[in-house]
Amino acid sequence: MPTWQLRLLRGRPGSSPRLETYRVELPAEAYLIDAVEKIWAEQDRSLLFRHACHHASCGACGVRVNGRERLMCITPLREFSPDGVIQVEPLRHFPWLGDLLVDVSPMMRRMAEVGFAIIRRDELTADRPLPEGIEQITRFEDCIECGLCLSACPVMAADEAYLGPATLAAIERMLAEPRGGDTARLLTLADDPHGAWRCHSAMECTAVCPSNVDPASAIGRLRRRLIVEKLRRWIGGGR
Amino acid sequence: MSYHVVVIGAGSTGAAVAHDLALRGFRVTVVERGEVASGTSGRNHCLLHSGGRYAMRDPESARECIEENMILRRIMPEALELNDGLFVALDEQDLSFKERFLAACEECGIPAREIPVKQALALEPHLNPHILAAVQVPDGVFEPFRFCLSFLATAKHNGATVLTYTEVVDFVFQGRTVVGVRVRDRRTGEERVIGGDIVVNAAGPWSGKIAAMAGVDVPVVPTAGVMISVGRRWNRMVINRLNMPGDGDIIVPQRRTAIIGTTSWRVEDPDFIPIPEDHVRLLLDRAERFIPGYTRGGIRGVFAVARPLVGRRGVAADGRELSRTFECFDHAVDGVEGFVTITGGKMTTARAMAEKAVDVVCAKLGLEIPCRTREVPLLSYRAFF
Amino acid sequence: MREVPRWKRASGWIDLRGRREGGLAFLLMRLTGIGLVIYLFLHLYVLRLLAQGPEAWDAFIAMAKSPLFLALDGLLILGILYHALNGVRVTLLGLGIGVPHQARLFWGVMALTLLMTAIAAYAIFTIAG
Repeated sequence: MPTWQLRLLRGRPGSSPRLETYRVELPAEAYLIDAVEKIWAEQDRSLLFRHACHHASCGACGVRVNGRERLMCITPLREFSPDGVIQVEPLRHFPWLGDLLVDVSPMMRRMAEVGFAIIRRDELTADRPLPEGIEQITRFEDCIECGLCLSACPVMAADEAYLGPATLAAIERMLAEPRGGDTARLLTLADDPHGAWRCHSAMECTAVCPSNVDPASAIGRLRRRLIVEKLRRWIGGGR
Repeated sequence: MSYHVVVIGAGSTGAAVAHDLALRGFRVTVVERGEVASGTSGRNHCLLHSGGRYAMRDPESARECIEENMILRRIMPEALELNDGLFVALDEQDLSFKERFLAACEECGIPAREIPVKQALALEPHLNPHILAAVQVPDGVFEPFRFCLSFLATAKHNGATVLTYTEVVDFVFQGRTVVGVRVRDRRTGEERVIGGDIVVNAAGPWSGKIAAMAGVDVPVVPTAGVMISVGRRWNRMVINRLNMPGDGDIIVPQRRTAIIGTTSWRVEDPDFIPIPEDHVRLLLDRAERFIPGYTRGGIRGVFAVARPLVGRRGVAADGRELSRTFECFDHAVDGVEGFVTITGGKMTTARAMAEKAVDVVCAKLGLEIPCRTREVPLLSYRAFF
Repeated sequence: MREVPRWKRASGWIDLRGRREGGLAFLLMRLTGIGLVIYLFLHLYVLRLLAQGPEAWDAFIAMAKSPLFLALDGLLILGILYHALNGVRVTLLGLGIGVPHQARLFWGVMALTLLMTAIAAYAIFTIAG
């Protein structure tokens, strides 16, 4: 069984973090989350990290792997060489709580403000006649609220008031399928210097998204919609 | 009344217990050594059971499932994908179970109905075209992390305190009565005592270890299972094999993935479960029989976790033979007062488990407060943060 | 989000570890943008010489024909071209157009920038030199 070398960012707020190397034996079919969990179980019980579902559904295990935002649970070890080092650091642009753990509540509170429909129509069956007794099929939104896009976004680094890619994408989803929601409020939320206009199209959100959300395109659609609304108001409301 | 209850574990059981306690007016502190749902609850198969899976072998558990399924649809719509389930017969042997299955579902109160094969294939175009029969049941899919967060968010709203990354290291006794727990804050390393009138052990497959800390025995049998998530959602409905529960006989869809599970073997230490390679091969082989080309979208994740099955004290049995129902142990019978363990069960039945546990807590304190968790809708999981 | 000093936040957008084309394009856009603002003030400062009579201006022009100065002109053109061409790319992407092709668009911008800079440099050195 191959031995993998992991370099984990360790430490607690108040002291400067350090990188520590661990060696862990696991088959190449295992995932990074298995390696980190095994280090916690067998080598260092003080290691802090977030995880829950282990299949990219809960969004808890986002970290930076060799600098890039990934979910540990769907990062296979076979991507790496046992001779190399896998460096794991916490997400950026979140308050750091220690080791690989960050506080995601600022993002969650922003998402809660949007209050978007968490359930969406299932595209597989949206246009298919369903047998009697089967209701319209629904499924969860693509966004798992993992925060990878916030960590990857360079604008988040400079503007802490920026709504961020996940939130803007959520607003766009809500506008696309409002189900009686208050669209005017959402447009106001997005039409803000720290909202849709703050994005500088670095495209890293879409590049790191593990769940097909494509926030960059969503922000583009949101802007188009805001422009149309403004034009309509400008033409219609002209005195 | 201001009794204080300490709940150990923030998985589905602990979260539901905290919610029930808070709703009945208790002061509640939940201690969890990791993240919410970082144990068995998080790594769940995500199946909101209709009960169909247990109707033939374990009707008690099946009845609990359908009842709770209907309650959860009312109280936590945010954490559910309501997409129904199909039981499909892949061969003649499966087909021979059909009548028995329909009768068992009827017996347990599970709305099940056979749909023509052609219709099933129209609904599920990727399903093996050679299926012999299909029965539709009200299965569903939940989001395990949000499931637990919803209960905890509501509990917090009602005054509960949730301490994550806080590990129980010991129990505090007064004579033979548990009066609190000693916990370590894993972020600071500091230890402190949290006093409680009652301590509820809701640590799932770890509840045996926790109980041992208090010097009592809980016959929990950590029974692991493997699940494999792939890069494509092949099915909209949950696809079950129409047979007795076995390995690799259920594919649960969620978002854009599908998850085949499970296997079953007994483990000693649920902290880290190495994944047996032959289980992966077996699951993929079985998945192929339901949905030819199952892995064509690539394998996305492979994970294993231990179920907290309840054995009979002194009786050796494990895996598929053990009931999926739950047990609440008042350790007064073991000579330890102030300590209750709630374990076993399914995530689908978490609310019912909590009701039972809190009924026991109330009885121990001589209180009569009715349970209201059937009616009260839960807050959004985001309210937890 | 909190307890981060302002100067440290700048290192957040300069840090390219883990970033791909989009992040690189963003960083270059900012750096060329800052460069162009600095150039604008230099330019205004130089134009001030016009008010000081022909001698001052001619002396400057003579210096401006030195190879080092011409190389700086090339650099300026490189920055302007990148900023302008990527500006078109970012405008489209910002409206959600061509997002799946953003990386290719970036390399296209780079290729076009270098090609046009090369032509411009050739012109500068042959005409001025």
